Amino acid sequence: MTASPTINGPAAGASPAERRLLRTAAPQSGFAPWKDPSKQPIIRFENVTKRFGDFVAVDNITLDIYEREFFALLGPSGCGKTTLLRMLAGFEKPTEGRVIVEGKDITDLAPYERSNINMMFQSYALFPHMTVERNVGFGLRQEGMPEDQIKARVNEAMSLVELGKFAHRKPHQLSGGQQQRVALARAIAKKPKLMLLDEPLGALDKKLRNQAQFELMRIQEQTGTTFVIVTHDQEEAMTVASRIAVMNQGRLEQVSTPGEIYESPQSRYVAQFIGDVNIMEGKVVSLPGDGTVEITPASGDGRIFKAGACEGLFVGQQVWLSVRPEKFRISLDPPQSNVNVVKGRVDDVGYLGSISHYHVHTEAGNRVTALRANSSHNVERAISWDDTVWLEWPAESAVVLKA
Amino acid sequence: MRKWMVIAAPYVWLLLFFLIPFFIVFKISLSESEISIPPYTPVFSLSEGWESISTKLGQLDFEKYAFIFSDELYTSSYWSSLKIAAVATFLTLLIAYPLAYGMARAPKEWQPTLMMFVILPFWTSFLIRVYAWIGILKNEGLLNAFLLHIGAISEPLQIMNTTTAVYIGIVYSYLPFMVLPLYASLEKIDGRLLEAAEDLGSPPWKAFWQVTFPLSIPGIVAGCFLVFIPATGEFVIPDLLGGSETLMIGKTLWSEFFNNRDWPVASAVAVLLLLVLIVPIVAFQWAQQRAREAGR
Repeated sequence: MTASPTINGPAAGASPAERRLLRTAAPQSGFAPWKDPSKQPIIRFENVTKRFGDFVAVDNITLDIYEREFFALLGPSGCGKTTLLRMLAGFEKPTEGRVIVEGKDITDLAPYERSNINMMFQSYALFPHMTVERNVGFGLRQEGMPEDQIKARVNEAMSLVELGKFAHRKPHQLSGGQQQRVALARAIAKKPKLMLLDEPLGALDKKLRNQAQFELMRIQEQTGTTFVIVTHDQEEAMTVASRIAVMNQGRLEQVSTPGEIYESPQSRYVAQFIGDVNIMEGKVVSLPGDGTVEITPASGDGRIFKAGACEGLFVGQQVWLSVRPEKFRISLDPPQSNVNVVKGRVDDVGYLGSISHYHVHTEAGNRVTALRANSSHNVERAISWDDTVWLEWPAESAVVLKA
Repeated sequence: MRKWMVIAAPYVWLLLFFLIPFFIVFKISLSESEISIPPYTPVFSLSEGWESISTKLGQLDFEKYAFIFSDELYTSSYWSSLKIAAVATFLTLLIAYPLAYGMARAPKEWQPTLMMFVILPFWTSFLIRVYAWIGILKNEGLLNAFLLHIGAISEPLQIMNTTTAVYIGIVYSYLPFMVLPLYASLEKIDGRLLEAAEDLGSPPWKAFWQVTFPLSIPGIVAGCFLVFIPATGEFVIPDLLGGSETLMIGKTLWSEFFNNRDWPVASAVAVLLLLVLIVPIVAFQWAQQRAREAGR
């Protein structure tokens, strides 16, 4: 297995959080065409619904995807993400609505008529009776391109995925990671405007998957192609995507950048699907009008939680407060303030080296998880089982959810 | 010990039911015919002692084989058999491929039923089914009656006792042997391969020739051998449906044994038939081996 310097670089062994940092350092950091009203989307789903008998796989979705985006459709199996992708490829026809690509209504075009769209299939679907070279050149041959040009384009695609010396092998003579590259090269060889990836890395083991994610990002940036990826792996979506659409039961729960999805989820579903989160039920008690909201927890012991307000809140409304485990400050001593504080008992401690997890049983009867970086040891007494602790968090790091 | 018994079982079977009968037939083919029971001179007999056996072995010749090669009846019988079997195999393939393709593309829950329909004819004796074709094909049979009735023909077609009838018989009888391996290889083809071909710009009819057909070649090869090999030595079908014009080695062999009562020549014909068929059998084994090594 030959690996490129890119995928063996410092990024390969990085944790998801570190890789997100690398991502923002990438040349695309200022890239946000969805915020620019003058930009035309490359893909537009217009009120698209797909039913299979009684089952509604995709439920009235309207979605714009822009050129050069790396767009992830994320959700559990059966949420409609694959159906949405297959409608772009032409394998499924919407029951209602239109699919528009590059300003053209392609709703009724057959897959072979969509020459600007190519797909990389789950488990690759490589032609077993053809060599790697023939596989990669298959799409070009359909266009009737002259053989010498095909050869040049095949070589180009294969060097892009660093596969040159396997040209004459058959797919079954390759490893899973090599097959994945052939599948990628085959789809990219036609230089599509739009590249669809259906769980492209699902068959790889974790280490290889991390490398391959970076390779996908490199190729996406090098070729300037718009990528739409379907995945159920939230970490993968966070790593590669410019924007993520979180899907649930055929509907879009939220479409945002990875950072927004993580920091400001719009529903409990999204908050729980992406990363770990603590959710506390409560009621709005007052809206002071300074952009904050005061909430009293459902357990009703008179404590007050403060958080940034979102639109459309009213006093007495049932809401949920979501706090990521790393936002908690966990301490053995009671803090001065009694806003945004919960008291509890440590049930469990998970020491992971760089960080520790604390499972805390709160007085209100919830189980919450707090996370602490082990940055300096022995400064204070180590927190241990059955310790009484206080969890405190800043108002701006809690998110109020209405659903 | 038990392991050896398991390994030995097929070899014992082959020894008892193939090798020993083969050597008996081979021994007869080296003898001379005479009017007696059995109708040939013994080549040697184990009761005569070693001395006699070795002298008799020294006198052996392959005279009957030379005779077969010198007589055009036998050589043209072999050729004609191979030709008829080859044409019939091709016709069977043409009919079986769409059948197997339809089965493989049918909804999963129907496939066992369709499979049963293909195997259904085996529930009736082969001989009776071939006899039934006489009733269909003869001049006053069902087919001619129907064609006369709808006015397609004005006088009955002569199909019985022609080579055409033999083709019909072989294609009908061996169709399941072609359909089943074809179905097995077509059914295995991953539907996503066709989607991938379509996605890369190949319309469905082109994708068939680029993906489905090449991937079904192992099934085509297996089916063709399974039809060709037994069809070459076929006796019942040419005997019942074919006429005097249809030369097939199975028929020649039968008349040599039972009409001429020339057992040595008949045995030599049988031994040669086996040698003729060894070529496709070995080729078949080789193809199967290769398909296995291809890893799927």
